Amino acid sequence: MKDLTNDEPKVIDEEMLKQAIEEQGPQGQAGDISKKEGIQYEDVLQLRLDYRNILKIFHLWHFTSLTKLQLDNNVIERIEGLENLTNLVWLDLSFNNIQVIEGLEALVKLQDLSLFNNRISVIENLDTLQNLHILSFGNNAIAQLENVLYLRKFKHLRTLNLAGNLICEEESYKTFVTAYLPDLVYLDYRLLDEQTRETANTKYKYAVEAMQQNELQEQQAMEAQKISNEELQLHKDAFVEFLNGPQLFDSMFDEDPDGEKLALLPGMESKMEALCVQIFDAGLTQHAQRTAEVESFFTCSHEAVADNRQKAAQIAADFESSRRQVMEMQQITDVELLEDNISFCQEQASQLSETLMSLELQLVDQLEDIFKDFERNISDMVGGFIEYVHTFAQCRDLENQHHEQQLEIALATLEKVVKNDIDCYKDTVTNAVSASHDTHLLKIDNREDELLTRINSWMSGLLKSIHDEEVKRNRKRVSEIRNYVSYVKDELEDMRMSEHH
Amino acid sequence: MEVLPEVDCEEDVTITDDEEDDDEESSLSNIRITPTVTHIAKPRPQVALSKCPSSYKENSSQEKLMAAMAENFRQQYALLYPDRKALLLCPVNECSVQKFVSTTLRSTLLPYPELYDWEGCASFVADYLSLELLDPPFELPKQLSSPTWVLQTQRGTCFDFSIVLCSLLLGAGYNAYCVSGYATKEMCLLDQSRQECPLLQPQIQDKTEEPKKPMKKYSVKPPRDLHSNFERRQEEKQQAEAEAATLKKQLDAERLQKERERPPPDPLRGLRVHCWVLLLSGNREIPENFFIDPLTGKSYSTTDENFLGIESVWNHQNYWVNKQDCTFGCNEMTFDLGDLSKWEYVLCGQSLSIISDPKTLEEPEDEEEEEMDELKVFEMPPSWVTTIDISPADMEMRYPGGMKVIEYRKAKLEKFAPYLLKDGLVTKLTTYKDLDCTKASTIKEWFKHRSDHLDERELHTDSNVTTEHFRPGRSDALKYHRYVTLVPETERQMDFYSHIRTDGLARRIEKPFEMTETFENRTDFLFYRNAVYGKQIKVIRAGEALEQRPLQRVEERFHRDHSKPASKDVAERIFVVSDRRIQVTFHLEDDRIIPAWLNFIKPKEAADSQKAQAFTPQMVSGFQVDPSTKPYTNLQLYEMLVELMREEENVELHIRDSEKEVRSILSSREKEDSNTDLLISIYNPTRNEMARLHMEEKERMAKEKKQRQKEKELDLLAPSQVRLGLPEVLTSQDALQLKTDCLNEFKQQLFNKASLIQSRIEKETEELQKKQLWYQKNYLTMSNEDEDDYLAYCSDAMFRIHVLKMRLIRHKERAPQKYLALEEKLKRHPRLASHFL
Repeated sequence: MKDLTNDEPKVIDEEMLKQAIEEQGPQGQAGDISKKEGIQYEDVLQLRLDYRNILKIFHLWHFTSLTKLQLDNNVIERIEGLENLTNLVWLDLSFNNIQVIEGLEALVKLQDLSLFNNRISVIENLDTLQNLHILSFGNNAIAQLENVLYLRKFKHLRTLNLAGNLICEEESYKTFVTAYLPDLVYLDYRLLDEQTRETANTKYKYAVEAMQQNELQEQQAMEAQKISNEELQLHKDAFVEFLNGPQLFDSMFDEDPDGEKLALLPGMESKMEALCVQIFDAGLTQHAQRTAEVESFFTCSHEAVADNRQKAAQIAADFESSRRQVMEMQQITDVELLEDNISFCQEQASQLSETLMSLELQLVDQLEDIFKDFERNISDMVGGFIEYVHTFAQCRDLENQHHEQQLEIALATLEKVVKNDIDCYKDTVTNAVSASHDTHLLKIDNREDELLTRINSWMSGLLKSIHDEEVKRNRKRVSEIRNYVSYVKDELEDMRMSEHH
Repeated sequence: MEVLPEVDCEEDVTITDDEEDDDEESSLSNIRITPTVTHIAKPRPQVALSKCPSSYKENSSQEKLMAAMAENFRQQYALLYPDRKALLLCPVNECSVQKFVSTTLRSTLLPYPELYDWEGCASFVADYLSLELLDPPFELPKQLSSPTWVLQTQRGTCFDFSIVLCSLLLGAGYNAYCVSGYATKEMCLLDQSRQECPLLQPQIQDKTEEPKKPMKKYSVKPPRDLHSNFERRQEEKQQAEAEAATLKKQLDAERLQKERERPPPDPLRGLRVHCWVLLLSGNREIPENFFIDPLTGKSYSTTDENFLGIESVWNHQNYWVNKQDCTFGCNEMTFDLGDLSKWEYVLCGQSLSIISDPKTLEEPEDEEEEEMDELKVFEMPPSWVTTIDISPADMEMRYPGGMKVIEYRKAKLEKFAPYLLKDGLVTKLTTYKDLDCTKASTIKEWFKHRSDHLDERELHTDSNVTTEHFRPGRSDALKYHRYVTLVPETERQMDFYSHIRTDGLARRIEKPFEMTETFENRTDFLFYRNAVYGKQIKVIRAGEALEQRPLQRVEERFHRDHSKPASKDVAERIFVVSDRRIQVTFHLEDDRIIPAWLNFIKPKEAADSQKAQAFTPQMVSGFQVDPSTKPYTNLQLYEMLVELMREEENVELHIRDSEKEVRSILSSREKEDSNTDLLISIYNPTRNEMARLHMEEKERMAKEKKQRQKEKELDLLAPSQVRLGLPEVLTSQDALQLKTDCLNEFKQQLFNKASLIQSRIEKETEELQKKQLWYQKNYLTMSNEDEDDYLAYCSDAMFRIHVLKMRLIRHKERAPQKYLALEEKLKRHPRLASHFL
């Protein structure tokens, strides 16, 4: 049905797409309906564009729900224009002129990828495609056996086709692939048998083990990193990160060029650290308390909402069944009786709306009550913590003390060293010492400020989000009720109208 | 040995008064035991007394001494308490020999797990024996048989019951005593017709109350109650009054009922002699003392009003007489047998060791023994009864003759041994509406070992409803069946073991025009299907007319499938077949209260003259919860409709399959009921014929194997050795001699055999030649028949000769081999080997 002799390369265009969809879409009565209605590109799930001499992939960005795309037997040279097709599960690009694997990063759901009969020499750029089950690279130009190692990333890969590549001519090809991809079930159209596996395992035992060892270590390192990140996140959530050691103290002196020149007084560091750790511990415990509080609030409010919802749903379901009975009476010939029924149902509908609304209002009241309680409690807690954080004042005292001592010592030393000209040096020294002191104080103040602003913003953010959620929920429910009741009333009105006619 | 009295002599039934009794007792004071006719109880001709072991028929010296002491005790007792009745100390046994009651107890632990605890023992004794009433009811029995005798005859008085039970309990390690005393008429006569049947008593369900949820900090306050408190209180008051009134009425009615049912007062109350078992706390984790009535196997508290008084108690070690006042029953009795002010012992020095825990006493016992020696304590002689033994067959039979009938208040309980009845019935309980037990209200039957796995069946005679329970194992996984008749399309309920069935069906309830099925754990999340039928019509299918009920409406409900969004996940679909409508309701979204639904009207199919109706959007109506979401496109709706129509067909098929299954279950039930087999476990060698044959076969094989082994080891040298005069040790010369003898002999044997075969060949050939000669002479005058005979004979003879020749060749071939083999064997023979190495 396609004109194969016409070998003028094409670009995918609207017309081609429309034709393909109409050909491949629903047939018979369903086809008529769909034609009448017009086809939405967003709804198409499968598309076949084979034997069309396509050179460039284009115009495909509308097909966001596409799961299967066949572009085989064309003259495509570059993989492009597939970024929006994130739901693709199956992609066939076989029998084209592709040289480089690219442009597939966004297709994370891809399970089956065929690049059979292309000009690919390196397997690459597939890192994000962790769901791959089936991969076909047959009839390409892969020459390096090491390309196979790249495929170790894909934990779900079971079927692989590399037949017709240069590497297949190597003697150890099969055993190499089997050994390095132990989860593989099919290779080059055939089931891997036990014997191949065994020979492969014995042959590459040590190499594979070493590789596994490395991978394991990497994984462990990643996990360790993850754990420490989590810990830091926890500390951040408690607003006391980097306070469980001498970090604050160190940072005080890091950005203080003069401080380094001045001798450090002993005892300062340990005292400072102790204070920091104190704040840190308190921060963590208070954080745990706050989390528990928040959790208990959420469980209770969710329970209340779920309870209310169940009640309302029951009422609505009861009404609906009685309404359906009335609707089924359409055939009744007795006009009066029908009229009675309709008006009764209408009455009931308004009653239902009232009941549901009052139930909703009741829930709103209840939630408001507990929200107030929660707000009070949580702000008390935050207040308590803020008060506790005033331990930073002690740090400041310590720094002041330190500063005085330093100044004293500096002056004394100065006196000893330079007996004359004391005044001119005195200013310099004093300036240096106080500059250092100022930096230190600033550091401490900054840290304190940061803590306070963050905890306050956290609190206000939380309270606001709860409030907003509640408002959203309420509006949704009210609109739902209104929508339903108006629907019911419309239906009843329709019925009455049809009766009168 | 005593002369045995006539067995079938009748006892005088007249009530002996006290004087006579005293005379008897005095005659008993003579230690030489002379059984008199009056001592013999009812005849028991089934078991030969002569087979009893000698300990049954005579007294050892110790026993004689014991009897003397008992007699002494009795005299003193009679002197001290002239008002009290005589004690049961030394009654005669079944061989008419006087034995002390304690020695009649034979503590035995039988190898049946059910007899390891007191409940098992008590119910076994109650089931296994049948009661002989005491005659007269206010006298002690004259004879107390051994437990072995009682178990053999399976009948006995309450005393025999107690002795057997007490023996078993002592064997199981309980601190048990026989109690001789007085009880109410119902208890003595085993009359339970005023008691509720224990099987009918509602089982006390220990309701584990759910731990109350802790009040959470932020739990919402319930909405304010806007009802008047006063009104509510008034209402409550009224209700309480009404309740109190009804309760009172009920109580009155009950009292009246009781009044009516009360038995006439018993003139012999307090005089009826009874014997039961007392279990004291301490051993086997018994927390409190209690009585066991051996006739029913039930336990009673020691203060139960059915027990009116105690004369004495005994176990296998001692005998105690009660000194407490029993005018008001056993309410205030204490069972501290060491208390001398309350209990008088017969053998001194033992009471302590019996009452306290034997374990704690183990150590000081040695010391005490010395003391006891000084006190010259007399120990109770060992029991004269042989070990109690109950065969597995008897154990299984359990009831005398395999069945027992007990009458309760408004109920009759029949028990049968397993495999006794053909239909596997083991228990049958009939309850009645009236006290006279004439109008049955329910009949409940329990079965065992039935091949159709029926376990329980209950029939209510009023509603005529039968319910049946099945054990797992049926191919149709039926668990429960409630029905009136076994005719299909009537009212019934069937429960299934849903985890066995592939379709997960758990229950099917049928009414004349309705069928409801519930499912569990299905992969398609279906859990409910309800089908409503119309009037039966004739359907022609595959050429034959079927009576079928047309489907009018089918309703299916589904659980939530979390892999789909709620608004696309069908919760309920209703196929209104009669109306050509399909109604689909979707699941509720998480925070919604109103579900979405769609209502389809099926387009008409193509008929003879009309074309099929085309799908139009007007055929669908529905409600969308969220007005902002995109409505379904016509294509989607059309596809949904097509799918639903296909489903409708499937559903109908399913329902017809269900109907078919019901029919097949019913017919198989009918068949099973009329003809049941009993299943026999492969572990039951007494019944399982196959298993037994297999076992026997195995045994026989083992035997044969042994035999062959023996033959194999047959000594080759024996005959030659005998000729040499059986020297103890073989010299090497002897050995050589032996060997050559043996070999020669074997050679001779082989040669003999060869010549035997040769001679047979010659004989055959000779005969054949004779016959041939005869034939040549007479063949002209011969009849056809004779000729045929001759020819047959010739071919036969030729065949025989051929076989013999073959044998000879074979023998010649094999003989040298055999000879060599023997030589080899002799070389390795244990007795010769040493000489040839």
